[in-house]
Amino acid sequence: MRYPTPLLTLIRALSRLPGIGPKSAQRLAFHLFNQPADEVLALARALEEAKTGLARCPRCAHVMASDEEACAVCTDPSRDAALLCVVEQPADVLAIERSGEYAGRYHVLHGALSPMHGVGPDELTIALLLGRLGGVTEVVLATSTTVEGEATALFLAQRLRTLGVRVTRIAYGLPVGGDLEYADEVTLGRAMTHRRDL
Amino acid sequence: MPRYTVSDALVLRRSPLPSGDVVLTLLSEHGKWRAVARKGRLLGGNLARLSLFHDVTVQAYRRRDDDLAVLTQVRLNGALPGLTKPEAYPYAHVLAELTDALTVDTHVGERLLAVVASGLRGVGSHDDPEAVALAYAWHLLELAGLAPHVGAPTQRPVATSDAPSGPSGDAPGDRPAPVCDRCGAVATRLAVDAGRMRCDEHGDHVRDVWLGADGARSLALAVRGPLRAAVLAPPADRTRAWRALQAYVREHVTEVRAVTALAREPA
Repeated sequence: MRYPTPLLTLIRALSRLPGIGPKSAQRLAFHLFNQPADEVLALARALEEAKTGLARCPRCAHVMASDEEACAVCTDPSRDAALLCVVEQPADVLAIERSGEYAGRYHVLHGALSPMHGVGPDELTIALLLGRLGGVTEVVLATSTTVEGEATALFLAQRLRTLGVRVTRIAYGLPVGGDLEYADEVTLGRAMTHRRDL
Repeated sequence: MPRYTVSDALVLRRSPLPSGDVVLTLLSEHGKWRAVARKGRLLGGNLARLSLFHDVTVQAYRRRDDDLAVLTQVRLNGALPGLTKPEAYPYAHVLAELTDALTVDTHVGERLLAVVASGLRGVGSHDDPEAVALAYAWHLLELAGLAPHVGAPTQRPVATSDAPSGPSGDAPGDRPAPVCDRCGAVATRLAVDAGRMRCDEHGDHVRDVWLGADGARSLALAVRGPLRAAVLAPPADRTRAWRALQAYVREHVTEVRAVTALAREPA
């Protein structure tokens, strides 16, 4: 049996979302069909507003409301403007903010260098980063500890050092609360290499 | 087919999924295969061992032949930290992506695994990682049976990989240059579509990629081997060499984005 065209269109649209396969898309489509019209319309409006109402901050490339001049972090005067933390994704900003240990500003790269996926320096917000270093004394590279994240950090460090900025990298080591014997050898090796005095 | 298999493998590609899983493309002596590392993006567990370009031993579980294998155990045999350096990183991607592209339907086996592992080690440790990547890329094409025809190998005894080359007659520069397949003159161009070397007179000045005599010789060394000789005699014009590789790979294999990025005019 062939599904009605609007249902098929919805299933196809939902299955394009990351993490949603055809079966999940079908379940979601039937769930939406069974919801009251006002709830479905509210969801549609939320989707539309999220697309039209959000933009990248022109200073740091973090997510912000499109009717604002800059994001909440960039416009916060209590933030240390001399300290800049470079992350891969907007979600990383939220993760660091949750730690409550950082009071500087951010810069979001929107990815990590990966030539096999077509991501080179021009595809990231590196030019924007290099153009906003006035008054910045330290750049903290908080890219992921994957090979891609490491390569991006080393690439940026090379560029930033030529501009006379202090460049630091977030520490490597064991997760808090983790047992040593269950740590993998790469993490343990890094933790040993970057041990510090007590 | 046993449900659990254990194999040595190289991580060629990682595709993280929003669910926290990671789909990995692995190259082992049985060829290329894909597997999923459940919750591979989360901290702890096997995440660090399954990084790009790592040499690992994995245990995989597969219920049916057509199932995507699920990795159940991972042991790290060797990491190549030198590959994250900016001067090596793009070239490691070239070898990994090209290998991935070359092994779509082919079973090239243990030899390919050894060559790719050797290439990645070379890129991570050699003073000139670009020369290593260029030589190994052409050699990978040769292993897959897709390299251009560069003529018969030299009759001169070749150096072994651990023997130094020197003035005793086996320096790369002493090796015969490839010749035009039409007239026998020294070749300077790669006729991409035909997979042949041509001289300036017989080459198509629009379609063929001009390499120069040194570039053509370097390409021929990489195809014929030994690879050490090709690495010791790299082409002078690297951008042109990447352009030749890009055009050739695009014509005979597919678009390899890591090669395309290197073939662009330097900024």
